[in-house]
Formats: sequence, structure tokens, C-alpha cells
Amino acid sequence: MSEPEILQGRKPDAWHLKPPFDFRILVLCALAVCCLGYSAQRLDLGRLFSDVGAFFMASAGLKESSSIGEGISGLSGGMFPPVFDERTPVEYVDDLEARLARPFAHLETTATDQTSLDPGTLEIVTRQIETQVLVEPLGYLFLVLLKMLETVEIAIWATLFAVVASLPLSVLCARNYAPHLAIYAAARTFVSFLRSVPELISALFLVLAFGFGAIPGIVALALHSIGFLAKFFAEDIESADVRPQEAIAVTGAGPLAVLRLAVLPQVLPSFTALTLYILDRNVRMATVIGLVGAGGIGQELKGRFDMFQYDRVATLLLVIFLTVLLLDFLAARIRRVLL
Amino acid sequence: MIAGALKTPIADARIQAPDTHTGDTPISPRGRLLVCDGLSKRFGAGTPALDNVTFSIDRPQLTVLLGSSGSGKTTLLRTIAGLVPLDAGRIEIAGAELTPASLARVRRRLGMVHQDFGLADRLTAAQNVMAGAAVNLAWPRLLFQAYPRGVRLRACELLAEVGFTENQANRKARELSGGQRQRVGIARALIGRPQLLLADEPVANLDPQTASGILSLMRAAVAAHGAGILCSLHQTDLACQFADRIIGLKAGRLVFDGSPAELTAETAAALFASATRDSDGGSDVSEPRQER
Ligand SMILES: Nc1ncnc2c1ncn2[C@@H]1O[C@H](COP(=O)(O)OP(=O)(O)OP(=O)(O)O)[C@@H](O)[C@H]1O
Ligand SMILES: [Mg+2]
Repeated sequence: MSEPEILQGRKPDAWHLKPPFDFRILVLCALAVCCLGYSAQRLDLGRLFSDVGAFFMASAGLKESSSIGEGISGLSGGMFPPVFDERTPVEYVDDLEARLARPFAHLETTATDQTSLDPGTLEIVTRQIETQVLVEPLGYLFLVLLKMLETVEIAIWATLFAVVASLPLSVLCARNYAPHLAIYAAARTFVSFLRSVPELISALFLVLAFGFGAIPGIVALALHSIGFLAKFFAEDIESADVRPQEAIAVTGAGPLAVLRLAVLPQVLPSFTALTLYILDRNVRMATVIGLVGAGGIGQELKGRFDMFQYDRVATLLLVIFLTVLLLDFLAARIRRVLL
Repeated sequence: MIAGALKTPIADARIQAPDTHTGDTPISPRGRLLVCDGLSKRFGAGTPALDNVTFSIDRPQLTVLLGSSGSGKTTLLRTIAGLVPLDAGRIEIAGAELTPASLARVRRRLGMVHQDFGLADRLTAAQNVMAGAAVNLAWPRLLFQAYPRGVRLRACELLAEVGFTENQANRKARELSGGQRQRVGIARALIGRPQLLLADEPVANLDPQTASGILSLMRAAVAAHGAGILCSLHQTDLACQFADRIIGLKAGRLVFDGSPAELTAETAAALFASATRDSDGGSDVSEPRQER
């Protein structure tokens, strides 16, 4: 009788069962803790804890002041209240008639005191100057929402292009479906490269190539998203249950049929989740790459920040936050319908 | 990228005219349905799952593979379908040798019922059945799962034959019971009108009545278009009732090959004597325990 059969025949009380995890994992964890400790030292993470601690002590009244607290109060003073209206002196408005016709728009006369030196008497006089301003109560909010819409459009187009390109690319990146090992290696390398270039950097270059506006933003986001989606789509394809795939393959059908009928139904929920995640991420990243001139709300944000108009920055941040919240809600609904 | 160089036949033709063989190597008049010659397979370092198994199926008949759990039934069927690479041996299906090059072409003559069904969970029962006829589907049709009318009709017929209602046919596979899933797997294997049907425990999850019904259905397929069936079972009584021929496997070796009448109670008992208790003493035959 051969060795394995003898092993198989051992009494149950002598059976050796595989442990759920072995000591190598523990060693790895210990090693990881050591590395983290070293890294914390290098990055001066101690300061993080002391600063945050000081902030909480100051908030509780145990300490006079803290550096974080000062920074925050300085900013929040400038950011509150957020600005929603647009006030333009009438002399700067070209199309006064048209803009007055919009809802809520009206003219206001404001009197401002102007102090100046009277050249005749050499005395300081204060005069009241009346200026007419066009007030559009929601004018700025409207502008911000338009910019936000542009940003969302950029994100949607980028995501769409990325999905269309990633679907075939992910098949080449999946070891079990790549037609050849060389193609697999090339596709993987290409995808890693796309993922390794940050959107902000590629947007900088693409703005040079395409000029300011939405197009460089779309291309930059799409390239990075392809790098992400193709990789994760491919991993889903590789880890899909083989049994349905075998069942289609034994009918003599080719890999396309197997992919469509056995793999796609399995990975579709995961693909959807990944795509929705990338859409969400693209909306947020689209605001960031606007900073370098690739269109959307980011361009506005950078301008206002540089002009120290923190109350407008507050409006912008509020709109971005609400948009992300709304998209999250929509994504959850889409997921529920599709799965 | 559908494998094989066949252009003309569409799935329709395959379904409606089962007698015109579309493969490039037609069965020669004396061509045998299945030839297995010295099949051996060992997984890792353990005992072999298949040990020099040789047999052939010469004419349309229902051949039952009988053996206890772990005796190599699934492995044998999977090697014939080209899903498990052989260590040694040669397989010929309907006159064509099974090689990596001929695999896709030979598989068109096969239908297979998998022990674990292999259904796509998110497709409906009907979509799963029609997926068995996707071989010659052009890719735009494939993309939208737009099967020709003939395929759709046949799928509905088959589902009705295995006891599905219209409502159940449109239910997602993951919402079906074990036995229902098994019957979907059987309908899918039959939709291509295979010359050789490999069925791995097709009635394992079914009650006795349904099991008999399914085996009768498979026999009817033999009669209707001259298919050969190789079907693994672990119920000796069902095997004796339905089989034209029984092949007994034990620990990967072919230990019996004959008609149901030739299968004596002792042989059957020996076939199912619990192999895992060998070391506890007692010979194979002395233990009359039957795993049913
Ligand atoms: N992929 C695999 N890797 C390793 N061992 C395997 C594999 N597939 C099968 N085996 C082993 O080969 C032997 C035969 O298995 P097989 O599945 O063919 O048995 P079976 O007769 O179909 O049993 P059952 O009636 O339980 O389905 C078993 O010992 C099994 O553990
Ligand atoms: Mg089995």
C-alpha cells in the first residue's frame, strides 16, 4: 500500500489539520510594524500627534493656543459666510438690460464714503459717492454650478472613454485570456505605466498639447482611469469561477463566447462598482486638474484662492461636496438596480 | 475568434438538421463514437485518479460509469472533454483524435453535464440553456445574446421536457434549487444535439421520480439522433434499470465492463466497498457497505 493511503488511514484523533494561518504571517506582521515605526520617525509623525493633542487641549480650554487652531480660525473667519450673490457696478456691465431681466436681478444704489484730500483747501474731506450696482442674488452660485456641471461632464466623458478602452485591454491583461504571453506582458506594462502617471502631471503636459479647457482634462483623467480599470477588470476576469467557463468551452465555443456568456455575467457587478468608483474619483480629480488649467471648477477655485476670496472658496467647496454627495447617492441607486 | 474554420453552418442548421454533420472530419461508417486507450492521470503525488483505463463505445447506447466517490468518474469524463490534460493515453471521439489542435472541432460533437452544473448564476435558466448553442454565433448576436429562433424554440422545448414552467425558465440560475440547476445543465448539454453526451452524475440532486424521468429523456436522445451517452452514476439500481452497458471504476482502474445483467451483486458491492477504510483491515469485497 502506498504512502498516502497509509496517511489517509490514520485514526481521526491523530489527524493533522492545516492551521488557519501560519507563523510566517505573524513574522510578516511584526516586520510591517517595524517598517511603520521607522517610517514614522522619518516623516516626523510625532509632531502630528503633539499638534493634534495641543489643538484638543486648547479647544477644551486647557491651553492658551495651538498652531492648528490659529490656522483654522483664520481661515474659517474668511470663509464664513459663503458668497452666493454677484454684485457688479453698473458701469462694468455691458448687457444691463438682459441681465436685469433675469429672475431676482435688481439694481441697488449704495453709498460709500470716500475720503480724499481737497486739492484747493488742502483739507481732508469725506464725500458720499453713490454707485449703482447690479445685484444678482444667486449669480455666483449659478456660475459655480455651471462650472461644476462642466467638471462632472469632464468626469463622465473621461470615465466613458476609459471603460470603452479598458474592456478589450483587460482581456489582454488577464493571464487566462491573453492570446500570447508577450502580449500579456506588454499590456500589463502599458497599463501600469498609465496608472503610474498622476493625472495632475499628465494634465500639465496635455494642456500644452491641447490648450486650456476641458479636452486636456478629459484625456488626462481617461488615461489614468484606463490604467486603473484595465488592471482591476483583468483581476476580476482572472479570478472568475472557472466552472461556467469550462461549461461553455466544452461546447467548442471560442474564447469570445466564453467571455460573453460565462465571464461577463459574473464580473458585471464588480465592473459596475469599479466604474462607479472611478466616476466618483474622476469628479473629484477633475476639480483638482482644473488647477492647472484643464477646465471646470478647479480653475475657478484656484483663481479665488489666489485672490484670498475665501468666502467664494467656501461656496465652491460647498458645491463640490454636495455634488460628490449627490453622485454617491445616485451611484448607490444604480448599483441597486443593476445588481 | 470562434475556433475552427467553419463558416457556413450557423447554430440554426446545427439544431434543425442534426444528421448533417458539419465537422470537417465526418464520422467514418466504422468510426467509433469514443475510444479511450490507456488513459492515466495522477494529481500531484497521490494515488492515480485514472490508471490505464481502456474502453470504447462503438454504437449509440447509454453507458454508465459506476463507482464510489473519488473513484475517478469525474476525472475520466473531464479528460474526454479535454478539460484535464492526460498523463498518458489517447482519446478518439467520432473518429477524430483529441489533440490541442482538434480540441475545438471535436468538442462540437460533445455535450457535457457537469457535476457542479457550471451555470452562469446571473443568466436566466433559458439563457443558460441557449448558451450551449453559442458555438457558431456571430459576435454581434453573441454580444446581445440574440440567438436564432430555432435555438430559442429548442431551448424552450428542452426546458419543458426537464420539467420547467415558462416562469421558471426566466428565473436567474442562482435563484433555482439544486435539482433545477441540474436540469438546466442537462438541457444545455442536449441543445447542441451532441453525438456523444458526457453526463457527470446528472441525477445526483434529483428525487427518484425525476431522476428516472431525466434518464429516460437521455435515453430518448440516444434513440432520436443516435447519440452515445457516457453517464456517471453512483446508484446501482438506476444504472441497472437504464444502462445498455456498465463500466465499473474503482480507484481509477476499470474493474468491470459489461451489461447490467452481468453485474452481480458481489461485483457491485466490491465496487462500492469503502476504499478509505482499507487500512482498517478487511479486504475490498468483505465489506458489504454500499454508498447510496
Ligand atoms: N483538480 C484536482 N486536483 C487534485 N486532485 C484531484 C483533482 N480532481 C480530482 N482529484 C482527485 O482525483 C480522485 C478522483 O476524483 P473524481 O472527481 O474523478 O472522483 P469521482 O468518481 O467523480 O467522485 P464523486 O462521485 O465524489 O464525484 C479523487 O481522489 C480526487 O481527490
Ligand atoms: Mg465526480
